[in-house]
Amino acid sequence: MTLIECRGLTREYRKGDNIIRPLDDLDLDVPRGDFLALMGPSGSGKTTLLNLIAGIDSPTRGSLVIDGTNLANLSRNKLAAWRSENVGYVFQLYNLVPVLTAYENVELPLLLHPLDRRQRHERVRTALERVGISDRSDHFPRQLSGGQEQRVAIARAIVTDPAILVADEPTGDLDKPSAHAVMSLLKELNEELGKTIIMVTHDPKTTDWATRTLHLDKGRLAETGASLTHEQEALA
Amino acid sequence: MNPLRCIPYVIKQVTRHRVRSLLTVLGIAIAMFLFTAVQAMNHGVTVATTETANDTTLVVYREDRYCPATSLLPQDYQRRIEDVEGVVSVTPMKVVVSNCRTSLDVVTFRGVPKAEFIDGLGSDLALLDGSIEEWMSRTDAALLGETLANRRGLRPGQRFDAAGITAYVAGIVRSDDAQDQNVAYTALEFVQLAGRDQLGIVTQFNVRVADASMLDRVSKDIDEVFRTAQEPTATFSEKAFIGRVADDIIELVGFARWLGLGCLAAVLALVANSIVLGVQSRVSEHAVLQTLGFSGRLVAGLIVAEGVILSVIGGLVGGAAALAVARWGSFAMSVEGTSIPIVADGGLLVSGLLVCGLIGVLAGLVPAWQASRREIAACFRMA
Ligand SMILES: Nc1ncnc2c1ncn2[C@@H]1O[C@H](COP(=O)(O)OP(=O)(O)O)[C@@H](O)[C@H]1O
Ligand SMILES: [Mg+2]
Repeated sequence: MTLIECRGLTREYRKGDNIIRPLDDLDLDVPRGDFLALMGPSGSGKTTLLNLIAGIDSPTRGSLVIDGTNLANLSRNKLAAWRSENVGYVFQLYNLVPVLTAYENVELPLLLHPLDRRQRHERVRTALERVGISDRSDHFPRQLSGGQEQRVAIARAIVTDPAILVADEPTGDLDKPSAHAVMSLLKELNEELGKTIIMVTHDPKTTDWATRTLHLDKGRLAETGASLTHEQEALA
Repeated sequence: MNPLRCIPYVIKQVTRHRVRSLLTVLGIAIAMFLFTAVQAMNHGVTVATTETANDTTLVVYREDRYCPATSLLPQDYQRRIEDVEGVVSVTPMKVVVSNCRTSLDVVTFRGVPKAEFIDGLGSDLALLDGSIEEWMSRTDAALLGETLANRRGLRPGQRFDAAGITAYVAGIVRSDDAQDQNVAYTALEFVQLAGRDQLGIVTQFNVRVADASMLDRVSKDIDEVFRTAQEPTATFSEKAFIGRVADDIIELVGFARWLGLGCLAAVLALVANSIVLGVQSRVSEHAVLQTLGFSGRLVAGLIVAEGVILSVIGGLVGGAAALAVARWGSFAMSVEGTSIPIVADGGLLVSGLLVCGLIGVLAGLVPAWQASRREIAACFRMA
């Protein structure tokens, strides 16, 4: 069943007289429960696509329907409310709020929901346990390693229980063991909680965790991950 | 959703950016200290010179004279003033000051006929400490206004020297009249004898009239009585008299209003600076909040709230410090036997805090609006 449906999705930027088109007439369907890896050269529009799906950017043309809602039609405020219900964003550089503890960072998105202190506490604790970092809940981001910060960021992304997780090079700044921990955590979230995950990555190894891999080039989909995998198999 | 739930987040932004907040609050506190001090002086001028319906006192002075040392009137004018229609009571007064120039610490003696005074002019005084009987019975006894007593640290039973007079503190009194708060009432002859031989000579008469609406008419009538006398008089309502004598203080205080406005401008600049820098260094943080689902409006509200908290804390510290200094110092700006009190009360602090809150909102408005309008995705590329 399709959760995310992109049709003719186009994003343009005007730079003086030039028009930059990081996303060009893109069609894409993502079924519910998918773990999609996006690859492609730098500047191919991966982040742009992710931002559109996360509702923090709006397409210039085309439609983007997620779970029956056309995001292109939502006002700024409606879009904000939609984000808080439906999507969690995991950044390459974690983007935790530096003056808040791990616990407070994870609690932040819950402030938008009609929950009392105790209910929030329950949710934060569950999320921190899920990412295996309960023992660091009083630590500030500067007191955590990169891998730990990213796990806190993932807890923050899942604490409101959104259907979609987007991750922009989530392991791009991590050493191997931490990257492995983060990837297996994402896999867990996908398999056990049924999160639909769209992940941008530069590292071909991390695509092994995904159910499929797509390649972007100059704002268009190059080829499907499945066929690539077959080609690789054929080459092997 | 309830935006108040985000207040702890704002408070953490303030308390955990400790150095920035401390410096900003310190700057605001200094400016608000000055502002509160200026307001206290302004308020004092208003209290001392604005006439109200309760003001029924006239001051009869020697015409064309401006200081107690040169206003010399025969004490026997009293009977003739009492005959003027509308006059309720007349109190002859000999005024001696420790310092003829403008100062924050002047001791003003007012010599009055004790028995008449207690029944008339002094009947509104509330005794805080000491004894009226003792004041009545001792020739060198003085009743001190609260402000004067606090400033000099005087208690009943002590003696003090001022203006060449050694007096005994018999009691401490409180009055609604700013003038009473800053003088020492003694026996008329005691003050007259302390100067050169000036028995029978007084500085002024304080005249009670039946009703505030009579002030103008009675003062004209009194001056008419003495128009051709050897010592002609000039009669004013008490508040107008103070306005006339203390006009240079009043002018200075009027000018100080500009200083007060300058202080507010400084507060605005400090808060705005702090918020603008804070917002600039937190572009990606605010983009993260919006990514999490915070609306642009909510982010703007948080930024404004931060400005308000900073400026209200600064206003509280500075205003409270100014109040404490004013209370502790018990200052009054005195000249020629009259006083402009420095009125620092809770109301002043509250109004200062309201002003601070407003400035906080103003200071945060533009950066908040800008932060709420930024394209979220573009913010992450900037970082
Ligand atoms: N706000 C913007 N203004 C101008 N150009 C932009 C903006 N955002 C993205 N671009 C351009 O769009 C192209 C694709 O960017 P991006 O989606 O970040 O690529 P990727 O994530 O695949 O490296 C780049 O050439 C980038 O410079
Ligand atoms: Mg990118």
